[in-house]
Formats: sequence, C-alpha cells, structure tokens
Amino acid sequence: MLSGLLKRFTGKKNSKDAAKKRLQFSLIYDKLEVNDTTLTDLQQDIVDVISKYFEIDKDALELKVKRDDDVSALVFNTPILHVKRKRA
Amino acid sequence: MQGKIIVVTSGKGGVGKTTATSSIGAALALEGNRVAIVDMDIGLRNLDVVMGLENRIVFNIVDVVLDRCKVEQAAIRDRRIENLFLIPASQSDNKDVLTSAGVERVAKQLRSRFDYIIMDSPAGIERGFENSVVAADEALVICTPDVSAVRDADRVIGLLYARSLNPKLIVNRIEPARVMRGEMLSHDDVMEVLSIDLLGLVPMDEKVLISSNTGAPLVLQNDSKAGAAFRRIARRLNGEDDLPIEMPVYKTSMWQKISKTFGLK
Repeated sequence: MLSGLLKRFTGKKNSKDAAKKRLQFSLIYDKLEVNDTTLTDLQQDIVDVISKYFEIDKDALELKVKRDDDVSALVFNTPILHVKRKRA
Repeated sequence: MQGKIIVVTSGKGGVGKTTATSSIGAALALEGNRVAIVDMDIGLRNLDVVMGLENRIVFNIVDVVLDRCKVEQAAIRDRRIENLFLIPASQSDNKDVLTSAGVERVAKQLRSRFDYIIMDSPAGIERGFENSVVAADEALVICTPDVSAVRDADRVIGLLYARSLNPKLIVNRIEPARVMRGEMLSHDDVMEVLSIDLLGLVPMDEKVLISSNTGAPLVLQNDSKAGAAFRRIARRLNGEDDLPIEMPVYKTSMWQKISKTFGLK
C-alpha cells in the first residue's frame, strides 16, 4: 500500500514497463543484425548478378545495412565502368 | 510404442530448465506414462543429483550414442516413481563427442521404448543445443520474467522455428506480489513480447531448493506450488488441452484491499 501511495504522489513509473519497452526494442534490433559472412555472401551474389549487365569497380563498391530509428535499409553503392552489350 | 521426444530449452542458464525437466518428466510418469529423461548437458551433468540418482550411474548418454552400451544399461530406474528413468550425461566428455546422426539413431531406439523422452538441453545455442533439438518432436521454452531470460528465449524460439518446431512457453519463478507492485514483468507481458503459446505458469517456490537438496521429486511434495504447477503442465502435455492454466495469485491483505479500493495500486 505504501509503495502504491508513494508512486501516486511521486508520479514514479513501474520498472516493469521500462523492462517491457526495452525488451521490445532490443528484440527488433537483434533481428536486424546481420553477420559478416552473410554480408560477404550477399555482396558476392549481388556482384555476380550486376556483372552480367555492367562492368563495375569491385574495389570501390560498398554494401551496408543502415539503421535509423524506424527503418532499416540495405545500401549497395558501386561505380559503373561500362555497360555490357547484350548479345542476341 | 512410438514415443514423443520433447526438448526443454531456454538459451539462458539458471532459469530452472533442469528443475522443469525433472518435474515434468516425473509428473508424466505419475500420469501413467513410461518416461525417459535425458541429460544432454555433456560435461556439466546435473539431473542426476537433482533427481537423487547420482550414486547409481554406470553408463551415460555418450556411451549409448557411441554404441558402448545399450539404452537399457544406461537408463537408471527411479525407485520412488514407477516408469521413470534417467539417462545421465557424461561428466568427462565435451559436447563435441555427440553427432546429430548419432543422436537421431538413439532417438529412434528411445521412441520405441518410452512414451515420452524429455531432453534437457544445455544453456547456450551451440553444439549441445543442436544435439538436443535435432530429434525433437516438440519443444518447451523456459523463461523467467527478467529482461535477459526473455531476450535469450526469443533467440531460442527463432532457432526452433527454423527447425520447424513450434515451441510452447513456460514462465518460471513468477512472484505475484512483485508483479502486482509493477516490479516484475507479468506473464502477459512476457507472452506479448515473445508471442508464442503458453503451456504453464510456475510460481517462485522455496520448496524447489529444498527438494533439490535431498534429491526428492518436487512433484511428490504436496505443499509445493511449483510442483503442482509442473503437474498441471504435464497433464496439459499429456493430452488434457482444456485444463485451464492456473495464474499464480497473490493473497491480498485487508490493507491492500482497502488501498486498491481507493485506487492506490
């Protein structure tokens, strides 16, 4: 009862609400974490596909997972050297 | 006989996996099933002491998987509860001695000899965990109402989904008084965060330590609240799907009732 009274007058929030909120956020972020091997594999696959159509500078490209407060994005940035002509 | 293999996991250690495994196994045996409990925590065995069978170990699960003995030779029969058996872990090996293929081969043998095989997974998500879940038909996730246990449970649930297992949740060590004071996550909070089906709620109970001190089965203690909760969980596992889940309650005193009436809680 005393704790109830105290909370009422001090306006202090329940610690379990903080626990729940922190958990919900961290679980979302945990799932967005990508390990290095996955990124390297993904980069190789993307390079293979793009190389069918463009000649790209493989040393200058970068692949990143960008995270903002509410969205995540996969950013692949590469200079194009040539467009490959498709053969009929 | 075509038994069912149930793996008990948690990710985090120290949340009551071993107690849950031994209690659920014992309770399933009391319901009339033939039950084998398998300690998969190779190198750190504990189920034998918790179940009071540590003096009777001859062979262990590693011996069975490596074909050094038969299932019957490694399974220790409990003298207090009929049809309850323990296959202990090895204490000297490490977790890499077991292979998935070996575990699956033994799992087949176990299914033909028991109604339920309860596998106690080690903490962590490495090889030992993999070996424990590889042959599982069902999975239980044990979680206490604290941030680290819930987070680890979420990780494990993800890994179980990836293996097409649909885990059920047991929330352990609930302290209703602290939940009421807003100091502890309620089971609803935990379920909302993890979003999986609930199998049971187990209250914090001093009897758990006392019964493990002597190696006596918790489910045989009539005054144990946790023991009673595990017996209900076992009945639900055993096909009584409609048995309601009992909420741990906090007995309120006169003063608390009055303060509640005035909206102070």
